Amino acid sequence: MFGRIRRESPFACAQAWVIPGIMASLWFALSQTGAVPQYLLPHPLEVIRAGHSYLLGSPGETPYAGRFYSDLCSSLMRVFLGFTFALAVGIPAGIMSGRIPAVNRLLSNTVNGIRAVPGICWLPLAMVWFGIGMKTTVFLVALAAFFPIYLNTAAGARQVNPLHYRAGAMMGVTRIRGIFAILLPASMPQIITGLRLGLGIAWAYLVLGELTGVPDGLGAVIMDARMLGRIDMIVVGIVLIAGIGRVSDLLLYHAMRLLFRSARRTA
Amino acid sequence: MKRHLKVIAPSPFAGREKILEIRGLGKRFESNGRLLKVLDQVDFTVGEGEFICILGRSGCGKTTLLNILAGFIPPTAGEVLLRGRPVSGPGPDRCVVFQEDALFPWLTVEENIAFGMRGPKQAVKDEVEHFLSLVGLTEFRSYLPREISGGMKQRVALARVLILRPALLLMDEPFAALDAQARQGMQNLLLSLWAKFAHTILFVTHDVGEAVKMADRILLMDGDTGSIREEIPVHLARPREKDSVGFLRLLRHLMERL
Ligand SMILES: Nc1ncnc2c1ncn2[C@@H]1O[C@H](COP(=O)(O)OP(=O)(O)OP(=O)(O)O)[C@@H](O)[C@H]1O
Ligand SMILES: [Mg+2]
Repeated sequence: MFGRIRRESPFACAQAWVIPGIMASLWFALSQTGAVPQYLLPHPLEVIRAGHSYLLGSPGETPYAGRFYSDLCSSLMRVFLGFTFALAVGIPAGIMSGRIPAVNRLLSNTVNGIRAVPGICWLPLAMVWFGIGMKTTVFLVALAAFFPIYLNTAAGARQVNPLHYRAGAMMGVTRIRGIFAILLPASMPQIITGLRLGLGIAWAYLVLGELTGVPDGLGAVIMDARMLGRIDMIVVGIVLIAGIGRVSDLLLYHAMRLLFRSARRTA
Repeated sequence: MKRHLKVIAPSPFAGREKILEIRGLGKRFESNGRLLKVLDQVDFTVGEGEFICILGRSGCGKTTLLNILAGFIPPTAGEVLLRGRPVSGPGPDRCVVFQEDALFPWLTVEENIAFGMRGPKQAVKDEVEHFLSLVGLTEFRSYLPREISGGMKQRVALARVLILRPALLLMDEPFAALDAQARQGMQNLLLSLWAKFAHTILFVTHDVGEAVKMADRILLMDGDTGSIREEIPVHLARPREKDSVGFLRLLRHLMERL
């Protein structure tokens, strides 16, 4: 009666690559005609060459050769730590403020006030507090990722159908079990939205944190390349962050679906 | 306010144990500073295994009454006694089939039915199996609520509470949203389950024909005073023919009184 599994046709899969493809072609065409000077936008082949050396070259060959792996590890570690902090605080706080009006009143001014401060304003303070490097970056990432996670979780928890609570209560579900059996699964779509937005922002703030002169990381490479005038490496960094950001978003989404049946069935 | 004097008819549930007693029940809502008296001096008693229909116009307070009996909201006056004990808060001894769809959308049909069950895995599985077949949904066990029809949803809603063997089954216009044919099927299913399990059922409806078909006793609710205006025992033999003389006479009487 209903197809439970819907496979996407090859054509539908290809659609996702249409816009990146067009952008790459335009870039190639512009560079080929020489309409844009190399020092503003390097030729795609230059960038591919730089990227190849950055990813696969042996260290010492050129300034950036073979550094990718260690940069990636440092950056991933910072994003992972910051995002985990944000999640560990954001989801419980969001659930509580969504369900308990007193908690919501208590937090709303503070959270929305802090949220209004652009992340870059925190940078000087974070540097004074945590110095340059790991801690500052993790702090910035955690701070930035917290807000979308908290706000979306709170919205999800607030909108749980009250009939579901009544149904649970009449079937003998206690408060604590209700959190796991009703509240979390019912809020799952919004929680996932919050996590995905949070992870996206985490990558943005990673770069911000790494711009401060840390020796390694993908953001550090971009900053370093700017000072050395290596615009090809800047573009390599941008493309890599775009790719890794997208992959981590997909991983997050599918991990949630793997872990929670409510995510599989409603998100 | 003075209590209405009622002529006490010989108890229609003679010989049955008293399961539910409602005494002087009242409910007022305060909204926008205005006091709305929804229920006032509601009194009735229900016998073990009785099928009671509460009949009343839209907005007369039927859902409010069920919410109080289920323990979802407290009354502002009077008391509800279940087997002699006052009701406070919801519990699996009084289960509700809601007016709206209240299944958990992230659970399959069988997981919804198993939701309130505790105990050894195999025993739960067997029970769920049994109730799936009772409501005729064995083939749809692994479907999600959004993938089945409204009638099937209400069958799941019925099964998930029947499996808990509640002392009292509260049903709030459960079939009102179904088409005539599906509604009839559901009525027959409910009657056969009632014959099998001998539950006590409080069934809210605004459909007079439905009340006459199902009930042992009909309680007419009065929207203006917020009380039970009349109690009408239904002595028609089961199964009831919709075009029998007795059926039509009672139907006409109720239509006039509503
Ligand atoms: N929480 C509430 N606050 C204020 N007024 C309420 C509340 N709940 C119900 N009411 C009012 O009580 C009255 C009865 O509502 P109720 O839902 O019990 O009616 P009903 O008989 O179930 O109607 P229907 O047949 O349409 O379902 C209505 O006038 C409604 O506005
Ligand atoms: Mg109602």
